[in-house]
Amino acid sequence: MSRSRSFSRSPRQSIQARFGFFDASQQPPMPIHSSSNPTGNLLEVTFPPAELQRSMSSNHASLRGMRRLEARRQMEETNYLSSKARSQNLNPPVDLRLLDYVTPYDDNLMCPVCRCAFIDPVVLVECDHCFCRDCIRQTWATTASAYTPLGPRGDCPSCRTPAKLGARSATSKILVNITDDLVVRCPNSEQGCEATVKRGEVQDHVGIYCGYSKQECYAEDCEQPVRRRDADLGCLHYNVTCFDCRETMQKAELEAHWKAKCPDRKVACPQCQEPILSRVLDKHSREMCPAVTVSCPGAVLGCTSRSKRSQAEVHAQTCTLAILAPVLAAQKQRLDEQEVVQRTMSRKLEVLESGFAAVEEILYPKHSVQAKEDDVRADERRIPLLLEDGDSARRRHTRLESTDVEDMDEQFSGFEFPSPTSSRPMSSRLIASLPPSRPAPPPPGPRPQDLPEPFSTDFDMPFPSAFPPPAAHGPYVSPLHHLLSMHEALRDELSRVSTAVQELDGRQSMHTLNENLRMREEMGYLGAQVTGLSRQVGWLTSTQLQRQQHQHGAGVGSSAGGGGMDGIAGAGAGVEAAVSAVGAAASALRGAAQVRAQARRGHSEEGRTKL
Amino acid sequence: MAGMSGKRLQKELAKITGVLPPGITLVSAENLREWQMDLTVPDNPIYPADHVYRLKFMFSTNYPIEAPECTFIQLSTPVRKIPIHPHIYSNGIICLDLLDKQGWSPVHNVESVCISIQSMLASNTKNERPPGDAEFVRSNRSRPRDINFLYHDPSV
Ligand SMILES: [Zn+2]
Ligand SMILES: [Zn+2]
Ligand SMILES: [Zn+2]
Ligand SMILES: [Zn+2]
Ligand SMILES: [Zn+2]
Ligand SMILES: [Zn+2]
Ligand SMILES: [Zn+2]
Repeated sequence: MSRSRSFSRSPRQSIQARFGFFDASQQPPMPIHSSSNPTGNLLEVTFPPAELQRSMSSNHASLRGMRRLEARRQMEETNYLSSKARSQNLNPPVDLRLLDYVTPYDDNLMCPVCRCAFIDPVVLVECDHCFCRDCIRQTWATTASAYTPLGPRGDCPSCRTPAKLGARSATSKILVNITDDLVVRCPNSEQGCEATVKRGEVQDHVGIYCGYSKQECYAEDCEQPVRRRDADLGCLHYNVTCFDCRETMQKAELEAHWKAKCPDRKVACPQCQEPILSRVLDKHSREMCPAVTVSCPGAVLGCTSRSKRSQAEVHAQTCTLAILAPVLAAQKQRLDEQEVVQRTMSRKLEVLESGFAAVEEILYPKHSVQAKEDDVRADERRIPLLLEDGDSARRRHTRLESTDVEDMDEQFSGFEFPSPTSSRPMSSRLIASLPPSRPAPPPPGPRPQDLPEPFSTDFDMPFPSAFPPPAAHGPYVSPLHHLLSMHEALRDELSRVSTAVQELDGRQSMHTLNENLRMREEMGYLGAQVTGLSRQVGWLTSTQLQRQQHQHGAGVGSSAGGGGMDGIAGAGAGVEAAVSAVGAAASALRGAAQVRAQARRGHSEEGRTKL
Repeated sequence: MAGMSGKRLQKELAKITGVLPPGITLVSAENLREWQMDLTVPDNPIYPADHVYRLKFMFSTNYPIEAPECTFIQLSTPVRKIPIHPHIYSNGIICLDLLDKQGWSPVHNVESVCISIQSMLASNTKNERPPGDAEFVRSNRSRPRDINFLYHDPSV
């Protein structure tokens, strides 16, 4: 404090000199404005000329007037000093919203926006809510869209009443005074200043008195900033090296560095008072400091002992729980590992079970609810049946197509299926190479892979070899999946084939119907012709008979009769020829019908084979 | 400005760590940029009492002049789900006028926002997501406060 007083002597003299000048000329002093600083407005003092002149005139009359003038002078001096400090721009204006208040203050003095005691409070006349001037300006600056010529306006943040910041918005002096009298800590408190001042004076404190704020170095040709308390020590702007960390810096900064930043400085541990390097202080108090109270290592097992770290080790040697703790911890870890393994296993099992259920569902939709012991028997009953179906269909098919596969049958008749108990899964390639017509001997147990075999060569479905080979260590997972996917493929194939067959059948029956119609028409026509012919023959025969009877009755001469007989015989031969022609036609018709019938049978046969 | 937001958040934090309304707890506030709060909803069968929801607050340097970005987040440990509400999208974005540019007022704070959301959940009767939820969740890339929600429902 003494330093700052000694510093301020010369400005004071200059001020007095100025006032002397003003006094002599009876002129009002020029108001000193610090327009660059928005928060310093409470410190500004302006002298209305009339009032000043009044006080000047009473100067000689009363002591009170003298005192008042002296007070004004002091204010002027303060203003001058602070403006000078500000003009040096070494200490930025104090942001009053960042101050720490020493004493708690009434919540009613708190601005609802910044949650600080009001700073330059304004009242919105529309709703009587009160805010800091800066707070309400900033709030409206973000919400108001356009420039408003009548001053800032917007909605009240508290009640949303449309309001504006008018010329008469400033609140009463009482509120200003109350908030400015709140005691705050110096903003340089982190650097070491322990001063607490009224908020209204904090700018002065920082700008003029605080030993921890900066000012210009007194030394000539040196304009660098120095802490005010160090200003009288001469120029400190030369390089020094920190004893602890060997970092080079200016002497002016050394103390701040040493107090707050230096990593190699020894500081006293707050617990054990041992000097500890500041960079390892954290680790020290967490892991090593003997004065820190720690709980027994057996605390997880229930030991409630808590002691200083130095004594904790002694306790740990006697505490049973502490001795057991590492063993149990290891066991717990193993247990956890086992649990993880078990969980994965059970999940695998779940997947397998659901896979089995799906397979069962597909294989035996009706028997899926049967008891487990029935399953094996059901397998034996069903799979041969399926194979049988496939074989018979294939046999019919091969009878139509070719006969030389019979030779291949002989080649493969010696082939044996591996026993179902064998752990070696059957090679898929082997299944694929099986001849289509070979009736597979029904395996004694469920053999998932055998099942699709009879179908696989008749249709262009993916061969079993297309599936990944079953894993050697897990004989169940892969075959199951094979079986499932094969079933799916087969089902698709089957539905495709059945639609194809249906289509074919429809086309065939249509064709047959058409043919039949045409045949029937032809036959009807032929029948009509035959009827006409037979009628003609009947008529011719009856006339012939009549003529014969007439000839017999008349007793005509043999010569004429012979000639007549010849004519009749010729006519009769013609009739006979006609009749035989009709017969031939009829037999041809019958033959055609037979051919049709055969063809139809053939078609239906083929269709059945496909099925 | 950064100073003001920090100072105010420090004050809010000091108040919040003291006492909070029932059902609201502070989970983390490691820095002054992101806080997390846990929320339970009283007396609403849609949100059973043992269901806890996690709110995430993101503060810009302009807080409290600017609204904080407040969303529900999903976690696996501990289990935190996005509550089902006709104004809460399944990606956690909350359609609340208080949180958007127009509805925000610097008078609000973290506590008042939490209370508003809690009461919004407590008064809910519809166990459903907003209409067009899937579409919104798939397409929305903008930040919550840049979305122009239509507050067609005056009941919230
Ligand atoms: Zn304020
Ligand atoms: Zn208002
Ligand atoms: Zn100070
Ligand atoms: Zn110097
Ligand atoms: Zn150092
Ligand atoms: Zn220590
Ligand atoms: Zn113990």
